[in-house]
Amino acid sequence: METLLNVLVVGILLGGIYGLVSIGLNLIFGVIRIVNFAQGELVMLGMYGAFLAYSMLGLDPYVSTLIVMPAMFLFGVIVQRVAIQPLQAESSMQIFATFGLLTVLQNVVLVFTRGEGYSVATKVASFSIAIGEIRITGTHLIILIAVTAISVLLHLFLQRTLMGKSIRAVTQDRQAARLMGINVERTFMVTFDIGSALAGLAGALIAPIYTLSPGIGDNFILAAFAVVVLGGLGSVAGAWAGGMIVGIVEAFAGYYIDPELKQAIWFLIFLLVLVIRPTGLSGQVGAEEVGFREQS
Amino acid sequence: MNIAGRLISAAILGGGLLAGTAIAQDSVRIGAVNPYSGPLALYGDELARGYQLAINERNAKGGVLGKRIEMIRGDAGNPQQGIAAVDQLVTRDKVEILIGTYISAVSNAASDAALRHQKVYWDTNALAAELTERKLPNFVRSGPHGANFAEMSVRATVEMIAPAIGKKPNEITVWLEHEDSIYGKTIADVQKVEFEKAGVKITGIGAHNFRAADLTDVVLRARRANPDVWVQTGYVPDGNLMLRTAREQGYKPKMILFVGTGDTFETLDALDTEYLEGLFVVSYPRPDVAEKFGPGAAAYLDSYRKAYNREPVAPQGMAAFTGMHMLLDAVAAAGTTEMTKVRAAAKQLSDRLWREVR
Amino acid sequence: MSAIPSTTRTWCLYAGGLLVTLLPLAVLSGDLFWVNILIYTYLFAGLAVAWNIIGGFGGQFSLGHGVFFAVGAYMTARLYLGWEISPWLGMIPGALLCATIGPLVFWPTFRLKGSFFAIATLAFNEVGLVMANYLHTVTGGPRGLQIPFKAGLGNMIFADQCIWALIMFGFMALCVAITIVLMRSRLGYYLLAVREDEEAAHAAGIDVTRVKLRDTALSAALASIGGSLFAMYIRTIDPPTLFSLADIGVKFALIALIGGIGTIIGPVLGAFLIIPAESYLRAVMGGGLPGLHLVVMGGVMLLAALFMRRGVAGALDALWRRRSRSAS
Repeated sequence: METLLNVLVVGILLGGIYGLVSIGLNLIFGVIRIVNFAQGELVMLGMYGAFLAYSMLGLDPYVSTLIVMPAMFLFGVIVQRVAIQPLQAESSMQIFATFGLLTVLQNVVLVFTRGEGYSVATKVASFSIAIGEIRITGTHLIILIAVTAISVLLHLFLQRTLMGKSIRAVTQDRQAARLMGINVERTFMVTFDIGSALAGLAGALIAPIYTLSPGIGDNFILAAFAVVVLGGLGSVAGAWAGGMIVGIVEAFAGYYIDPELKQAIWFLIFLLVLVIRPTGLSGQVGAEEVGFREQS
Repeated sequence: MNIAGRLISAAILGGGLLAGTAIAQDSVRIGAVNPYSGPLALYGDELARGYQLAINERNAKGGVLGKRIEMIRGDAGNPQQGIAAVDQLVTRDKVEILIGTYISAVSNAASDAALRHQKVYWDTNALAAELTERKLPNFVRSGPHGANFAEMSVRATVEMIAPAIGKKPNEITVWLEHEDSIYGKTIADVQKVEFEKAGVKITGIGAHNFRAADLTDVVLRARRANPDVWVQTGYVPDGNLMLRTAREQGYKPKMILFVGTGDTFETLDALDTEYLEGLFVVSYPRPDVAEKFGPGAAAYLDSYRKAYNREPVAPQGMAAFTGMHMLLDAVAAAGTTEMTKVRAAAKQLSDRLWREVR
Repeated sequence: MSAIPSTTRTWCLYAGGLLVTLLPLAVLSGDLFWVNILIYTYLFAGLAVAWNIIGGFGGQFSLGHGVFFAVGAYMTARLYLGWEISPWLGMIPGALLCATIGPLVFWPTFRLKGSFFAIATLAFNEVGLVMANYLHTVTGGPRGLQIPFKAGLGNMIFADQCIWALIMFGFMALCVAITIVLMRSRLGYYLLAVREDEEAAHAAGIDVTRVKLRDTALSAALASIGGSLFAMYIRTIDPPTLFSLADIGVKFALIALIGGIGTIIGPVLGAFLIIPAESYLRAVMGGGLPGLHLVVMGGVMLLAALFMRRGVAGALDALWRRRSRSAS
């Protein structure tokens, strides 16, 4: 029984990581509807940003989020202006551009670091809570708190603020939003920038857990897409829940079935959910049926 | 080397490659096929550094066959690129010999392509046993292969670990964990056979993806089986995450044995010295190994530090260094870079070395 | 879209186009470096054309075609290694298998459009990767399958690279021809109608699902054949090579995209742009700073996307129109 609880806790904490990494993508994919292949790279840049702050300034990664987030926000501004915005009318070409972006970002980091595996240490989160057999590490706990807090804040932002409402409107129906006078382009811009900043935040927070490498973004990108689609576009709560589901399924599949198969298992579940309920857990009905043509 | 230096040398190298075909053949050119981009770029680059250090040493003594030695890199991260790299190195860069290769699948395809060009393919690092089982007339392997690592890990368990924990080999239990690509699988397969031969009980075999976001399941499964020795064969990211997770979960097996990785600063940075104390590692010889066990290692360490202004990143580089020296010895003994003669000389060299070792 | 050209005109253009793509091979047949590049260019051109049938013309942006590619590769290799069946014949079971499982797997996901479908097919590829690693007896597991060198026409193993270039060229020619025939047939018109406006097509009485299923079968079968050829050329196949998204599964889509999605010639143009560019960059810069050549390649991709919004085909088309407008 204790082991089962331990596995459940592991799953929840892992779900926190998946959820955190997916928040930025949830916004970007939900609103702009592009398969942003470069999203994992944005997280990776956040991780390396935390490493730079740690190695050059001695900053704890949690402190470094104060630098990393604005930096990634600015980076998002540049990327969106240069690569995403011009291709708004050709959304399939946007995919191509994000793939080019992925290649550039990953390899720029490779050029500068040779691919050496860096580690980031943290004093703030080096504690661990033990309840019987269950272990909750500080790093994971902070991530769980962060993803929950951000989800709540994001939800409030989307519900209460004017920009948030614009974002929701554009998510639901781009053309109608435009007709209502919403500046769709500006909404895209803000969305991408926030999404990029959130990706950077995620990177900084998970940096203490993993060994950094230029390609580490690839580890998370597919899970992030699965979480976002599973949770349902435009739904912050759905994405949070989607992360939990993927994390818990992975933890249970890994322990009780086989660690080698766990990824395949939640991919299969993901496919199953898509087939049965394409809107995801709590997404907009009909959102999944917007193809490439209707997006402009 | 700082960033500016790197950029300048890249420009020169790039320019040099473009003009490469125009240079007269007054040097012996060796093509080095490795992944220089992608997830294993670090190791490819380390290997090339090892090659270069060996070449520098030989050039200082007059080169080989009376000519200077030159190395040209061919980037290959998968078999298709391997074939392309060999074709490029041979036809455009006019290399006479090929050396490599961190990835076994690349070595497989590239050595095949090299045979088409009737060029020696000298492998210093790839681990798959099948590479020599193919009996290609141009293929020579100078480094250890997967079975060697596996056998050594079994020997370490039986001869060193068992007495240390006061048990006989047939009283010991192990859990075999490995990453699930050809590298981990090959070694684990041999480990299973060898452990069983030694009478050691295997409480379980676990496989995981080295890029997994979470390895708690791996740790918990091993803990459930409660082996005396926890054996792991894998790369750096999964090794680090496993150790961190084990520490967090409070899992302390009697002994942990890492095969292939675990003894570089990448792991030291991830975990503290206190935790790593007592971790057994079966891997390539380290550049800082004692002269008694690795004559010449100190000299390699010294030249690496001088040339690159830092500590070596991975011991595979030293295996590459030694392999290049052996290649050059074979070429010198053969008096030519022609395929069959070099291979024959390599065979003689190999026989002589084995006699000396025994 | 301009008026549909006559049958003779189309096939004359086809023959002419083939000659043009054959030209580089004729000129460079002595330079093994370029022959190698051409081999991949022709192969990926064919694969992108095959992808385009359902991905471009069908409007179902699949990122899972790597699975069909892998099935063809494994099937052919297994039949050859285990029962000495000539790959020329061994291609067929793989193609038939993919023609069956393709529609079977894609059908439930057809109501997903655009990005959703793309991501679902990505998942399909990832599941395939894990299964290929896991099912050792079928696929050789992580070790994969190695085909020893034994030259012979029946074996589809050749020492002369130029023969391989011709085979891949043939594959490309076949895929393009099939696409032309398809698009000129009633099925093709249905397909275009479905892509332009699925609801209207449905209203007009076209069985949308059946059209797409037939296309998927065709596309998958051709991708499988491409995989079979690849296996016999490389002669060492393993899960990381076959299921690599960047090198295989996603690449088909990317090539068709940059070439001009939904045009017949687009994927071919895309292949002739991407494959030589990345091979050349890798050859020339790959030995320098790690990853530098890929930074350049990524930059090329970004620039291509930004300056050729409708792909190479679209750019050429725009150029042509501008010239004919200024001429008149």
